Amino acid sequence: MDKGNRPRCEGPMDAPVNRRELLQRMCAGFGTLSLAGLIEDSASAAEKARLPHIAPRAKRAVFLFMNGGPSHVDTFDPKPDLEKFAGQQPTGDLYRKNKGSGYMPSPFKFARHGQSGIEVSESLPNLARIIDDCCVIRSMRTDVPNHEPALLQMHTGNIQPIRPSLGSWLLYGLGTENRNLPGYVVLRPTPKIVVGPALWSNSFLPAEYQAASVVTQDMQVEKLIANIRNPRLSPGEQREQLDLLERLNQIHLARRPGDTELDGQIKAMETAFRMQSEAMETFDINREPAHVREKYGDTAFGRSCLLARRLLEDGVRFVTVYYVNNGNQPWDTHQNHNQNHPKLCADSDRASAALIEDLKLRGLLDDTLVIWSGEFGRTPYAEQADPTKVGRDHHHTAFSTLLAGGGVKGGTVYGASDEFGMNAVENPVHVHDLHATILHLMGLDHERLRYRYSGRDFRLTDVFGKVVKDIIA
Amino acid sequence: MRAVGVFLALVGGAALAAPAVGDKAVATAPPPSESRIDWTEARQHWSFRAPQARPRPAVKRKDWPRQPLDWFVLSRLEQKGFAPAPEADRRTLVRRLTYDLTGLPPTPEEVGAFLADARDGAYERLVDRLLASPRFGERLASMWLPLARYAEDQAHQVGNDTKFFYPNAHLYRQWVVDAFNRDLPYDRFVRLQLAADSLRDEKGSSSSELAALGFLGLGPKYYNRNRLDVMADEWQDRVDTVTRTFLGLTVACARCHDHKYDPVTMHDYYALAGVFASTKMVNKAPSGVVAANTEAAKFPKDALHIVEDDKPQDLNIFLRGNVENKGPVAPRRFLRVLSDADPEPFRQGSGRSELAEAIVAPGNPLTARVMVNRLWGQVFGNPLVGTPSNFGLLGDQPTHPELLDDLAIRFVKNGWSVKSAVREMVLSATYRQSSVVAAAPQPVAKGKKPVDPMTADPANALLWRMNRRRLSVEQWRDSVLFTSGQLDLTGGPSLELTDPANRKRTLYARISRLKLDDFLTQFDYPDANVHAEKRAVTTTPMQKLFVLNSPFAQEQAKALAARLTADAGESDPSRVTRAYQLLYAREPTAAELDLALAYLSGPAEGMPRWERYAQVLLAANEMMYLD
Repeated sequence: MDKGNRPRCEGPMDAPVNRRELLQRMCAGFGTLSLAGLIEDSASAAEKARLPHIAPRAKRAVFLFMNGGPSHVDTFDPKPDLEKFAGQQPTGDLYRKNKGSGYMPSPFKFARHGQSGIEVSESLPNLARIIDDCCVIRSMRTDVPNHEPALLQMHTGNIQPIRPSLGSWLLYGLGTENRNLPGYVVLRPTPKIVVGPALWSNSFLPAEYQAASVVTQDMQVEKLIANIRNPRLSPGEQREQLDLLERLNQIHLARRPGDTELDGQIKAMETAFRMQSEAMETFDINREPAHVREKYGDTAFGRSCLLARRLLEDGVRFVTVYYVNNGNQPWDTHQNHNQNHPKLCADSDRASAALIEDLKLRGLLDDTLVIWSGEFGRTPYAEQADPTKVGRDHHHTAFSTLLAGGGVKGGTVYGASDEFGMNAVENPVHVHDLHATILHLMGLDHERLRYRYSGRDFRLTDVFGKVVKDIIA
Repeated sequence: MRAVGVFLALVGGAALAAPAVGDKAVATAPPPSESRIDWTEARQHWSFRAPQARPRPAVKRKDWPRQPLDWFVLSRLEQKGFAPAPEADRRTLVRRLTYDLTGLPPTPEEVGAFLADARDGAYERLVDRLLASPRFGERLASMWLPLARYAEDQAHQVGNDTKFFYPNAHLYRQWVVDAFNRDLPYDRFVRLQLAADSLRDEKGSSSSELAALGFLGLGPKYYNRNRLDVMADEWQDRVDTVTRTFLGLTVACARCHDHKYDPVTMHDYYALAGVFASTKMVNKAPSGVVAANTEAAKFPKDALHIVEDDKPQDLNIFLRGNVENKGPVAPRRFLRVLSDADPEPFRQGSGRSELAEAIVAPGNPLTARVMVNRLWGQVFGNPLVGTPSNFGLLGDQPTHPELLDDLAIRFVKNGWSVKSAVREMVLSATYRQSSVVAAAPQPVAKGKKPVDPMTADPANALLWRMNRRRLSVEQWRDSVLFTSGQLDLTGGPSLELTDPANRKRTLYARISRLKLDDFLTQFDYPDANVHAEKRAVTTTPMQKLFVLNSPFAQEQAKALAARLTADAGESDPSRVTRAYQLLYAREPTAAELDLALAYLSGPAEGMPRWERYAQVLLAANEMMYLD
């Protein structure tokens, strides 16, 4: 059986003395429902209440999401024994009946890199070059080897689609750093994506913690953000229009003294006005010099990574960049794995490494957490018998995730899978543990970051999760 | 291999501190026990005791109350040293009432007629006209549908698969609108939504109101419906939606362990889940044709998405919620805490009709309270119980317990008439108060120090004034379309809000679980995957970008400008006056008129001045708030 057989539910950690105390324990959130600091110029009480639980190592984070599940044994987890046992059928309790041609060695050579000497596949030369800035977790695992539940688990902790996403939780816990920009931005080159918006949903968290979801197939700023530019008025004309609006709103407010909500609306309008110019600048990657754009590569993913850097630089709290194309889940290499895998790597590797290096160059890597992962890995054995189409199936009991910056110990390997890459055997890291660790690095205690909904407290990590302290610098 | 990845949750009792344990611990966990609960004691919680009829409380200002509810409100105010706010002016009242009962603003002609009606009972006549409007049902449907997590698709779609979609969901929506319009007694409203297929109408023939079963039949469906664990998730949705909507109880919390706070056990949960496990979801035309496992396009044209009884089955309790770890059988029955003694097992088919009867039974202490509390929230902005779907131990206490009881008792006595309950609320002196905070607090009695209500009760829990309220997304979009002369008042099948030709009321927008419309998301419409207890009210710059720059805002400004010219001719002062009448139900002040005329006389290249000005009026706070 898999964990899908069992719903999960968060109870209180210990019996609260009374309801009021319980509410107070639920960190932040309360009293922020209607207005929140998002729109106020000076930090409001609500925002101050969001002080992190622990000293944060990262102020912002970016998740580079390899949709479809990249093969761990062809990227970060070398398994020479696959060569030795090539063609042998895997034993043990397999999730799906195996019809393929047995263990399948990686056609890609692994070599040691950097001072740390971490072994990385030749398919990722750029990430290999900067591996001393990275931590490789080789013992990841998730509950179910199907895309939808695994995607949902990696994004929301839960395998059914009705929970808030990691980014919404972070925004709820930490608020935004730049009130002129959305605090949580999702970048994807194609509108269609498996599962879809449930991956970045704020679910029952208030709408102010929602993601701004941006399709990056056309990088013109007006195409990126809905309603960011007035089609008919120049900024000066709009300013004149908003001056009138503000006068009328002030007259309205004067007759309703003391209504802070009306005042909040007036401020939100001003923020929106400023956001137009600020976002127009931040979202415009054409302002980057050619040599920088060249480093990321002129691909959909490369351009999105570059945009991610600009967003992080300007105070966006959490950015997700999806590696998707018209195939929705390009890393899902059931067939022709050996041909497709290197192509995907070439694109992803260049842009991902460029982003990490660029952040470092700008002094941002220290407090920016970079996460590179798919929803699971791929089987160390072949899925099909036909050697011309050979591919790898979904694999959830061992896969690799790369972390960089944001308080993570660079040049380290954490955990290990067994000799074939079948199961995480040493220091296994469940997705819940990864989430707990991400929250921890951002200054939040995953057991205290809660939201009361439907009669109980919810957490990103439900009743699970353990901070992986050993990877923290 | 599977065992490696498996962590099982232990979510009961003290085990919480050590959440991850292996299979073994689960297998040896004790079965949940009902004997741990002292049921007599448990039934003492305020909401589990029957509402008590109370004598009308004593008040000093005997000339203030207009309706029975006012005596309760005034009595609390006087006890705390508060004075009620003065009555709002008539313009404010007509705008407030029209929005509250129809979701739309009054027309200038309606405002004029009300102001001109100097006869006795003008206000009552206005109330009765609005209650009789077909817009009333639409207004209350806006309240009801998010409770029923109304939607037309699923959160998850594989490829282009539409077999779990609900293309005719609007038939349920229309049934809800009609039910409120014809003032269907609430007990019947509940019965029909749970068991219309087993009910007879007055003539004794089987009910023609099968569409009501959409309440259950539009629930989330998940892939792999042949798997027990997947179905267990679906049953949880049904239990959760039914118990929170009708009873204000979070029974689904008891799926993996007895409820942490409320006297609701796993037995209770599985006894109700068994009802839905004995039910199947069908797409069935009134002719009886059923679509089985086919794409939505191939459903019968008039298929209703409803439930039918399947083979009745009692579920085993799934220990720790794990479907592979079966505990004792939980015969289908009602909640023990709401039953006098041991609840009788359900015997008729799935048990849905018995469940419905138990919910509306005279002795049920929750059902009427929960509904009048929702109506109160709709009319006054804040419900008396701040957690309208949780009347359990962790829910809020009522701000006015005696009032809630009195309303609940009279709701049932008045034949569960929703219109009568709403009528009393809007006729009350409490409702007619001004929302403006008086500059200087008034002493209640001679020689007594005045209470500053803003300091003593800023949240207005005591109802010392009317709440100022932000319009819902439905009200706001509808009023923009209405005042610009564009609103199409027909119902029927849904349209996408992104469709520029969609001029229908927002209620008739397609609601998606997969991807809720951006505009709805932006303006706080709740996620349709689960019962939505109430809406968040957020203010974000992204909302303002919509108001400033969206094609909708641009088009409506243009349409409004054109309408003003059509209504009031070319004279700027006439058009400005007409705009204020249409949008805000009042005349502009001299200062507002001056500002308008100065702005309108500015340079006029590009976007016409009048369109710019119309957009300002539509974007203003006065357009979004109700005094």
